[in-house]
Amino acid sequence: MRAVSKSKNHSIVRKSLRRTIFFVILILLAGSSFEPYNQAQLALVLILFIGVLSVTLLTGISGQLSLGQGALMAVGGYCMALLMTNQGYSLWVAIPLAIVGSALAGLLLGVSAARLTGPYLAGTTLVIALAIPTLANRFMSVLKGDEGLPVDVGYPPTWFVNLFGEPSYEEWQLYVALPFAAIALFFASNILLSRTGRMWRAIRDNETAASLSGVNFSRQKIFVFVVSATFAGLSGALYGLRGLVGPSVYPVSLSLLLLTAAVLGGIRSIFGAFIGTVIVVFLPDWIDAVLHSFELSEQVSNFLPALVSSLLLILTVVINPAGVAGTHLHKHKHK
Amino acid sequence: MDTFLAALFSGTSRGAIYALVALGLVIVWRGAGILNYAQMGQAMFSTYIASTMIINGNSYWLAFVVAIAVGAVMGVLLDILVMRPLSNKKKTELLSSESMRAAIPVIASLGILGVLQALAGIIWAAEERGFPAPYAQEGFTVAGNVMPFTSFDVFVITVVLTTLALTTLFFKKTGVGLAMRATALNSEVARLSGIRTNFTRSLSWAFSGAASSLAGLLITPTSNLSPNTLDLVLIIGFTAAVVGGLDSPAGAVIGGFLVGMVISFVSFYDTPEDVFLAILAVLILVLIIRPRGILGAKDARRV
Repeated sequence: MRAVSKSKNHSIVRKSLRRTIFFVILILLAGSSFEPYNQAQLALVLILFIGVLSVTLLTGISGQLSLGQGALMAVGGYCMALLMTNQGYSLWVAIPLAIVGSALAGLLLGVSAARLTGPYLAGTTLVIALAIPTLANRFMSVLKGDEGLPVDVGYPPTWFVNLFGEPSYEEWQLYVALPFAAIALFFASNILLSRTGRMWRAIRDNETAASLSGVNFSRQKIFVFVVSATFAGLSGALYGLRGLVGPSVYPVSLSLLLLTAAVLGGIRSIFGAFIGTVIVVFLPDWIDAVLHSFELSEQVSNFLPALVSSLLLILTVVINPAGVAGTHLHKHKHK
Repeated sequence: MDTFLAALFSGTSRGAIYALVALGLVIVWRGAGILNYAQMGQAMFSTYIASTMIINGNSYWLAFVVAIAVGAVMGVLLDILVMRPLSNKKKTELLSSESMRAAIPVIASLGILGVLQALAGIIWAAEERGFPAPYAQEGFTVAGNVMPFTSFDVFVITVVLTTLALTTLFFKKTGVGLAMRATALNSEVARLSGIRTNFTRSLSWAFSGAASSLAGLLITPTSNLSPNTLDLVLIIGFTAAVVGGLDSPAGAVIGGFLVGMVISFVSFYDTPEDVFLAILAVLILVLIIRPRGILGAKDARRV
């Protein structure tokens, strides 16, 4: 019995590793062929992809709808920024510590919110998403209020330059985000394929049945929150590295953006999370490319991406709630 | 003492509006089992329509009535175009799990909110504009002192209390109200006894749309109007509804006044910036101590 499960674990890890390596190669190929603007956009895709994965795990896999992932991102971002500016740590040390910080925040949230269901959970997390950024003004001396804490990815170390040549700032952003996105993808894939992922899906589909089959669902629900918070915190830290960690960087709309991306792509799959992130990040550019011949006023073009993505969100839930990656999902399940 | 009175009065008139918002949420929750996060987006939209009418020279009262009617129509349209297809949907794999059945309408209502806000931005631009009040917003003068209570506040409280009284009468005394309560209690049984549940559902949406539009008209004179201003009102209304009990209209009213008082006292005695932390504290306290709310029924936390 033990040997069987061990070999199964190996095959899961190998599968996740294959996916991750494929993903890294794909991003490197795309990244090296893009011009600087799109490299920065691709870096943003990688950063938000991690955040969208946190929604996929929490909502898609374990069935808990949270609108407060932006608040957890803010926790990660602030932890990292404080460690970098006050303690002078490099980002490679600050980010792992920030992840620990956001995991603790996730534990706190999980303990208090995991017993809430459906709209109660959504509403409470929405209030949290609003309330957390105001803490920046409450603790003005440390968190610097609306001004925020400026941080950035800095410059590549000399060994990197010697090895690969001098990357542009945008390219370096991409290379900083990539290893973290790859690690996140690897872990998410492992979780989904493993026993833990099955337990979470069981909780989502029927709490009573899951608990009768021996799943300690209240403990697992808190665990989901912690895992999801580590993803969100990592994403928030990297998101802050684009220039600033402040209340305006992590608004409620950021939480909604993550949810939109997760639903559009397919809320139950990692592939869907990536597709959804690509859609929400590049949508403004695509709209611009299609409509640039029309002389649209600024007023219209500012709101058009939000209008289109919201319409897509409604159409997705009404027509095809499984999202872009949904067809693949159905085949998988019907065996 | 002056601060205390000011906080008390402001809490009463704000609380009245929050009660209205919470009532709108509760009615759709009871009638359709959906928590409508787009509610204040609808209110924002109809208030913009009223504002445009007033700018174009129409009277305040005409705009007032039109905005409420638009709110009701918008509610019905949302029900028919988005929410009904969702609930009638054949059970796809995604909707077969109980938690996703609860999550999907929430996501849909957030999408509606996004569409309404983007449309308002495109049509009316994003910058804030004022919205007129029908009565003076200067405080009454009593024995030489300016009181922190205006004739507009009197108007707000009168309108809200009248609405609440009429709502109660409607639900208790009319046949349609009875049908709506029956649908809320058990839609399957209601349908079997000949109630057109689709109709009563739409009616709940219309009612909630009208109530929230009224709330929008009453709150914008003091908070200005922009595509996003009413988001905070929704959050406060949600808290009020949970405090009172999501399935109890009377609870919503009590919750509204209670939360109004908390907000008012926090912003008068502390700083307005702490309001959200205070709301979060109230919400979590209620969810820990009495999750079903003050007047909620025992099984109110439906999934």
